[in-house]
Amino acid sequence: MDENRLWEIRAYVYRHIVQTTRPPLVNDIASEFNLSHEQAVAAYEELHQRHALVLQPGTHEIRMANPFSGVGTRFRVRANDREYFANCAWDSLGIPAALHADAEIEASCAQSGEPIQLRVVDGQVQSSDALVHFLIPFREWYEDLVST
Amino acid sequence: MNMLFFRSEEALEQWLASKGSARGAVLSIAQLWELSQRWYQDRLSPEYHGRTVEQVQEIFRGVGLTSTFWSI
Repeated sequence: MDENRLWEIRAYVYRHIVQTTRPPLVNDIASEFNLSHEQAVAAYEELHQRHALVLQPGTHEIRMANPFSGVGTRFRVRANDREYFANCAWDSLGIPAALHADAEIEASCAQSGEPIQLRVVDGQVQSSDALVHFLIPFREWYEDLVST
Repeated sequence: MNMLFFRSEEALEQWLASKGSARGAVLSIAQLWELSQRWYQDRLSPEYHGRTVEQVQEIFRGVGLTSTFWSI
């Protein structure tokens, strides 16, 4: 596939998520870009190979377009009057950073389950007693992205 | 899952013990926000096509993440 077209598809995926909170399906890509189903599948697979998005294993549905999650998670982010799901603690702050928007984040302590709420207002995160733990060293991140 | 919130150091230690996992890296919320801004501020741009390892390392250094945990 043409390199420019591939990155246009990637940009469309993100626009779609921002506007609807959900990633587009392969058929949406085929329709939007006048592609066959097979061509749209190939585009998703190529973007997955390049770590531009992550497909749900065994499918052609988007599991992650970081910082956005294509599936429900325990990291909820309300911004621009929409509710998004983030992939992890980092991505929950990644969403307001990507949107350049205020946000309210609802998550929980991984040990106790206690609610953890954060707010981003005017580019500042409101202080919280919470902390974030990164388990896996950076050099290993791409070995198992869904778990990361 | 790799990147998780904890209410306290005590909660993190309990979680690590329950999982039999070694401690990784701990960031404050302020540090995480700084990292998030540098990492994701241009993610929605059509011009964003990914990063080199060198660019990633520069982001980490910019927020003071310089231990071997953050290196290749």
